[in-house]
Amino acid sequence: MYRQTFRRSFARIRNGWVALSLLGVAAVLLPNLYILLNLFHQPNENWQHIREYMLKDYVLQSLWLVLCTGICTVLIGVTLAWLVSAYDFPLKRFFRWALILPLAIPPYIAAYTYSTMFSYTGAIQKFFRYQLGMTVDQKYFDVMSVKGAVFIFTMFLFPYVYLITKAFLERQSAAYIESARLLGKNSLQIFFQVVLPISRSAIIGGVSLVVFEVLSDYGVTSYFGIPTFSTAIFQTWFGMYDLDSAVRLAALLMTGIIGLFLLEKLLRSRVKFHSSTSKTRPLKPIKLGGLSAAAAFLFCLAIFSCAFLIPFVQLVAWAKLSYQDVVNRTFIQLTFNTLSVAVIATVVIVVLAAVVANVSRIRESFFSEVAAKLIAMGYSIPGAVIAIGVLSVFISLDQQLSGLYSLLGWGEKKLVLSLSLVMLVFAYVIRFLAVGFNPIEAGFEKVGKQYYEASRMLGLGMTRTFFRVDLPMIRGAVLSASILAFVEITKELPLTLLLRPFNFETLATKTYQYANDEQIIEASIPSLLIIGISMISVLLFHRVGEEKQER
Amino acid sequence: MNFFEIRDLSFRYQNAKEWTMQNFNLSISQGQIVGVLGRSGSGKSTLLRLIAGLEEPAGGTITIAGVAVVGQQKFVEPEERGVGMVFQDYALFPHITVSQNIVFGLHRLSRAERAKRLDEMLELVQLRGYERRYPHELSGGQQQRVALARALAPKPAILLMDEPFSNLDADLKGKIRQELKEILNRAKMTCIFVTHDNEDVDAICDRVVYMEAGG
Repeated sequence: MYRQTFRRSFARIRNGWVALSLLGVAAVLLPNLYILLNLFHQPNENWQHIREYMLKDYVLQSLWLVLCTGICTVLIGVTLAWLVSAYDFPLKRFFRWALILPLAIPPYIAAYTYSTMFSYTGAIQKFFRYQLGMTVDQKYFDVMSVKGAVFIFTMFLFPYVYLITKAFLERQSAAYIESARLLGKNSLQIFFQVVLPISRSAIIGGVSLVVFEVLSDYGVTSYFGIPTFSTAIFQTWFGMYDLDSAVRLAALLMTGIIGLFLLEKLLRSRVKFHSSTSKTRPLKPIKLGGLSAAAAFLFCLAIFSCAFLIPFVQLVAWAKLSYQDVVNRTFIQLTFNTLSVAVIATVVIVVLAAVVANVSRIRESFFSEVAAKLIAMGYSIPGAVIAIGVLSVFISLDQQLSGLYSLLGWGEKKLVLSLSLVMLVFAYVIRFLAVGFNPIEAGFEKVGKQYYEASRMLGLGMTRTFFRVDLPMIRGAVLSASILAFVEITKELPLTLLLRPFNFETLATKTYQYANDEQIIEASIPSLLIIGISMISVLLFHRVGEEKQER
Repeated sequence: MNFFEIRDLSFRYQNAKEWTMQNFNLSISQGQIVGVLGRSGSGKSTLLRLIAGLEEPAGGTITIAGVAVVGQQKFVEPEERGVGMVFQDYALFPHITVSQNIVFGLHRLSRAERAKRLDEMLELVQLRGYERRYPHELSGGQQQRVALARALAPKPAILLMDEPFSNLDADLKGKIRQELKEILNRAKMTCIFVTHDNEDVDAICDRVVYMEAGG
């Protein structure tokens, strides 16, 4: 009986959809596996040195950054989420969405903006010197430190925590909080005894995104000169030209990430709070008066200013100074490069995501569950790790294909694929497949399987059903997936920096290069362009969230 | 051999310990309307999904119009079985109009044939004048008739109906039962009809099959 089923399902795997999604998942896995396998190789002598003198620093520094940023983002994110969802105060409706805007500013752009503003010649110290006539102690203005990095990460990543916690509180907490109020608890008691414990799962979800971003960061830490795991990978590679050790570092980092990923799943799966009734009332905010209203308003305003307004205004001011020098033909070429590579990668991502999501919803099997989880994990693997994995795989691919190259009359060229855009696009796909996959999967879930089944019953195969029924119905989800993936790619720095073909500049790499060459003012225009593109996705994200709420 | 036949059909859902259905047998002759009665959870809907090809049985055979669609090493995909189905909540495609819904399964026909068949179907279910409406602009009873027309349009060998009246108001049911009976008779359809309501069976079916969990 079982053999019968097995044989039949084997025959059905020949289905092109299944084959394509298997291929996609395999491609995503390959570079990561390649890196992990490296752990079993014999290390070279360089590695001894790294392990003895540097590894401990990398680990501690990365952990310290993650820990501080994690705590700060939780403090700020949860407080803001609670204020905005439980109370009414002046301009609350504005802050509700404005507090997501910091996500539009990539931390590396914020890093050089702030460090320049706080430098001796920057706007802030000048203000103290000339307007107030004060001489200030430089040590209070040292942004380029671990403390500064924590500040930057906190200010520009806290919205992850804010967003997820707010959504949870607004939608699912009403019953608990109202009972606590009826039981005579005051606001502070409610916050610590009810709000924090019940939103634990949401908070962990948000903070894990923050942690993965921090571990993945290259721009901020390298600009500030902080040795972390990600910067160490780049250092070993470009400073010491020791690819083996770089891969080994990447493997260690990845092991840690996988551990964190599993930890997050464990922490979240043990505590799941679902309201007992399916219909949940939204939380009704309490109107704040007088002093407390002013305090809430000022707190929101302060965070919003630090995390968006101040750097944004500074960038606009710089842009006014520099646009004549920067906006020229090269700049247009740069923008074109960025957009075209992002469009290509986005198309690949969305197509692959749609195929895998469709297969996994139709064939509910072990494979499809695992495939979905693996794809989701791609997003938590740091850019530096993916970069090195992809590069290794492509170099060995080139070696395998060298026979073919000489056959094609390309002579002794050894590296073809690994010097082409294919490699960069491939890396983007691995890194951001999850970004495209999640909305599409959610879209399929919302539509359900019944229309698909109805269409199959009317004689249409899987492919025709997809184009005539599924695709028109998940159009919105496909659009959000495309925009989100597109924006992530536009902002992306480490992968692009490492894997781009020679002389291929994008907005992100040019910004980084300007900043590193102390041409901060020139960096403002590409930065603003990146921020502008990112704002589209942030606002879209917000709109999609609001829609869900209305239902 | 009968027009429609199920032999020793067994099925259980993935990760489920209990069999939803074990060694189930059923045969139906052409033109018969068979009601399947049973409590919720007795496997009525699963039976329809197995016949339709939306689920794969662990063992057993299904023969439709003399053709084996499930057998030892055989599994015919749903789109090749020639089975029509009216879903419990109709599953009318919301993004296309009534007439587009009805001709959806007629992609193998020429344009002229398609128009002719659409006309016949609109006549059969008496929905002329509603061609350009979208499903959400119709009443529950009208939606059901569109679903029926859509399922009958490709001339399936057998029609499956899953609780077709469960979404209708009680006072409408009597009238619509009558209509359905007439439509099915006129179309000379072989039909399997799942319900938990005895009145449905009395009004429409030629024969009744009772199902119990695991049976």
